[in-house]
Amino acid sequence: MDWGAFNLSLQLAFYTVLLLMPIAMLTARWLVIQPARRKAIIEALLTIPLILPPTVMGFFLLVSMNDTHALGKIWRSLFDESLVFSFEGLLLASIIVNIPFAIQPALRAFEGISSDMREAAATCGMSRWRTFRRIEFPLAWSGILTGGVLTFAHTLGEFGVVLMVGGNIPGETRTISIAIYDQVQSFDNASAGLMAGVLLAISVFAISITFLLTRKPLIRIRA
Amino acid sequence: MAEPGPLTRGIEVAIRLDNPVSLDVEFKVSDKELVALVGPSGGGKSTILRAIGGFEKPTAGKISVGAQQWFDGQQKLFVQPRHRRVGMVFQSYALFPHLSALENVLEAISERPKKADRIELANEYLARVNLKGLGKRRPDQMSGGQQQRVAVARALAREPDVLLLDEPFSAVDKVTRIRLQRELVDLRSDLSIPIILVTHDIEEAARLADRIAVLHEGRILQMATHEVLSKSPVNTDVARLVGIRNIFSSRVARIDNEQHSLELQWGNSLLEMPYRNGLAIGQTVTWCIPSDGIVVHRRNRPSRGEHENPVFGTVNEVFHFGQTTELTIEVDDPDAHPLHCSVPTHVAERNEIGVGADLGVSLKADMIHIMDSADAS
Amino acid sequence: MSCYNAISPDFPDSNYTALMFRKLLTLLLLLFSLSGSLQALASDSPLVAVASGMQFAMREIADSFHQDTGIELRLTLGASGKLFRQIENNAPFELFIAADDSLVQKLEQLQHVRAPGVVIARGRLAVFAAQGSPLQVDAELRGLASALDANQVTKFAIANPAHAPYGQRAREALQAAGLWTRIKDRLVIGENVAQATQFAISGAAQGGIIAHSMLMSDKTSNRGQYALLPESWHQPILHSMVLLENSDEATMKFFHYLQSAKAQQTLSRYGFTPAL
Repeated sequence: MDWGAFNLSLQLAFYTVLLLMPIAMLTARWLVIQPARRKAIIEALLTIPLILPPTVMGFFLLVSMNDTHALGKIWRSLFDESLVFSFEGLLLASIIVNIPFAIQPALRAFEGISSDMREAAATCGMSRWRTFRRIEFPLAWSGILTGGVLTFAHTLGEFGVVLMVGGNIPGETRTISIAIYDQVQSFDNASAGLMAGVLLAISVFAISITFLLTRKPLIRIRA
Repeated sequence: MAEPGPLTRGIEVAIRLDNPVSLDVEFKVSDKELVALVGPSGGGKSTILRAIGGFEKPTAGKISVGAQQWFDGQQKLFVQPRHRRVGMVFQSYALFPHLSALENVLEAISERPKKADRIELANEYLARVNLKGLGKRRPDQMSGGQQQRVAVARALAREPDVLLLDEPFSAVDKVTRIRLQRELVDLRSDLSIPIILVTHDIEEAARLADRIAVLHEGRILQMATHEVLSKSPVNTDVARLVGIRNIFSSRVARIDNEQHSLELQWGNSLLEMPYRNGLAIGQTVTWCIPSDGIVVHRRNRPSRGEHENPVFGTVNEVFHFGQTTELTIEVDDPDAHPLHCSVPTHVAERNEIGVGADLGVSLKADMIHIMDSADAS
Repeated sequence: MSCYNAISPDFPDSNYTALMFRKLLTLLLLLFSLSGSLQALASDSPLVAVASGMQFAMREIADSFHQDTGIELRLTLGASGKLFRQIENNAPFELFIAADDSLVQKLEQLQHVRAPGVVIARGRLAVFAAQGSPLQVDAELRGLASALDANQVTKFAIANPAHAPYGQRAREALQAAGLWTRIKDRLVIGENVAQATQFAISGAAQGGIIAHSMLMSDKTSNRGQYALLPESWHQPILHSMVLLENSDEATMKFFHYLQSAKAQQTLSRYGFTPAL
C-alpha cells in the first residue's frame, strides 16, 4: 500500500475541488442568465473535457505547459521550476479536466431555480450578491455539492492525463492510480489489488453520499 | 407598523411593447386607488405589471411614480427592479421556500440597522395580515391562503410606492378567496399608495376595484367604474368582457326631438329608449342591454298597466344555478336573437317557467345602450 | 399549483445535509492526517529514472544502499525511450539508468548531464513461453517457427520498439531469425519490457521475447520455459547510467555505489553481465 501515492491523490482531489468549485459555481450562475444560444455554445465548450480522450487532453496540456510554450514559460519565470512533471502542473490539468463534472450539476441546479425567485428578490430590494448568497446558493446547494463530490471522486481516479502530464514522480505526481499501474507492472498484484480496493471503496462512498444528499423532497403546497 | 406613507401622487404608465406580447397602453392610478386590469389570458395584463416592476423593458414610453421616473424610452432611462420601490405579489407567490415566513418578510426590510428592530417590524407586518405567531413556519408548512398573506406582507414590508398584485386569489378555494379579499379591503385603509390588481374575474374586479381597465389584445378598451362599464360599454368587446350577452344590431326607426326619445326597430318590435345625439333615421347601430335590464312578466296573470318595451317569446333554455335561474328566450320573430336574462329560482318555479313556456319580458328603456357610434365616450 | 421541487433543506443550519457535510469533512481530514503520517518519502530524496528491465535488480540495490547509507531513493520505472523524452522535457530526474547506451550519449550531446555516462552491464534477450503454452522455446527459435506455421501462436509479446530498447533488440533478433515478416502481424506490444513480460507470463500471449533479467525474480521465475537468444542476433544491450543536471550529493553517492563490487554482483545475479 503506497500511502504516499494515496496522500498525493487525496491532496490533488482536495485542492482541485477547493479551487474549481468557486469558479464553477459562479460560472454556472452567470451562464443561467445568458441568452439561449450563447449559453448552449459555452456549455458545449465546457463539456469538451468530458468527451475528449484523456490522452488527447493530456497531449494538449503537455504541449502548453512545456517550458517552450506560454504557460510553461510564465511558470518558469515565476517559480524557476518546470510546470510539467510537478504537482502544480497536475493540479492545473486536473482543474481543466474536471470542469464539466463541477459545472454541469451546479448549472442544472441553478436552472431549476425559477426566475420568480430572482424577481421576487429584486422586488425585495436585494442586491445581486445578496440574492446569490441568501437565495440562489442555498437552493442550488445540492447540485453544487454533487459537482464537488463528483470532481473529488473523478480526480482520485484520473489516470490518462496524469500519466501524460505527471511523469510518475514519487511524492510529486505518482497518484494512486499511477501507483496501481506501476505495481501491476512490477508484478506486485497484492499491493495493486489493495490500492484498487481502497479506490473502489472511496468511489462507492462518494457516489452514495451524492445520492443521499440529493434526495430531494417534493415540496407540495396545499392550496 | 409604518404609518401610511407620504402621498406619491400616483403612478403614470404609458408604454409600448413588442415582446412577449404586443402592448400599447396608457393609464394613471392615483394614490389610494385600486385599479383592476381585466381581460382574457394572454392579453398582456401580467406583462404590464412586470413592466412596472422592471422585469420587462418596453420599447417606448414612460413609467413614473410621483416625481420618480422609472422608465423613459426617449431618455434611455431604466431603473433596475431592485431600485424601484415596488411591492409585488406574484401569481405563484414566489416565496423563498427555504426561508421561514418571518425570514421572507425580513428580506424586504432594509431601513432599520438593528436586527432586533427589523424582526419586530417583520412580525408587525405578519400580524397585520393575520399571521401572528406563524413566523417560524416555512412555506411548505402553510396553506395556500397563509402563503398568500406572507407574500402580501413581504410586498408591504418593502414600503413600496405602488402595490402590484398578479392574480393573487386565483390559487385558493372560494371561501379563502372571499376572506383574503376582505383582508385586502381592510389593508387598503392603511395604505396610501396606488394598487394595481390583475385578474381574469370581472366579478372580483367589481368587488375590489375603484376602476376597471378592460384589456384586450394589448390595448385598453375602456377604463371606468364597473357600473359605467356595465351600463355604457364602449364596444362589443368590452360588453362581452363585462359579461353582457344581449348584444344586437338594429335600425334607428324614429327620432322624436320633442319627447327626447328614439325608437329602434328590433325584429317586429319597436324599442323606445332615451334620445341621444348623432344618429340618423335608418342608421344601423349596435346596442346592448345587461341581464338586469330585462324584467320578466308574471305569467298567467293579468297585465298590470303598461310595460316598457314589451317583448314576447318562448323559453329556449333554463339553467338553475342555485338561487338564480338563467333563461334564454327566443323572441317571436324571425330576425330577433335570443335574449338572456335571469330570475330568482323561486320565481321561475312559481311561474312554472320551463323550456317551451311562453314568456313576456320588458326591456328597460334606460338600460338600453348604443355602442360604436360617432360620439361614444 | 406552485410545486417547488429540487430544493434542499435550510442551509447551513443544523439538518441532514449539513450533518452529512460535516461528517464528510471530518472523514477527509482523518484520511489526510493518516496518509500524511504514513508517507515515508521525503520529496527531496534522489529521483532515479530506471529502465523497466532493471526493476528487480535496481530495487534490491536501492534497498541495500538504503541499509548501508540511510539514503532512500525514489525510483521511476519506464521504457528507456519514454524516460529519455521526459528528461529532454526537463523532468526532474537526477540519475538516468537506461537500457540503451545511445540514449545516454544523446543526452551528453544535448548537455543535460553533469558528468559522462558509465556502462554498468550488458543484458540478454530470452524467448519465453508460459506453462501450458503450445510454444516450444529454443535458442534458434525453431519452435517458434513451427508454432507459427501450425498457427499455434496467434499472439506474441515484445516491448514497443519505438520506445523500449528491449523491443528494438527483439525486432532485430526476429529479423535475424527470418521470422519478422511472418510474426509482425501477430505481435502484442508492451509499453515497456515489463508489460511485455506480463503479457507473456499471464498467457495472454502464447510467448514473447523479453529481457532475461525480467525472469530472474522469484515473482516471475518458474512461470514457464525460456531460452537465451544469441547475442549475435542483435545489437548489444548496453545498460548505461548518467548523472543529470540537477543531481545532488546523495545521487552521486548512489552513482558510485552502482559501480561497486556489491552492486555488480547483484546485477549478475539478475542475469546481467557486469561491465565493470
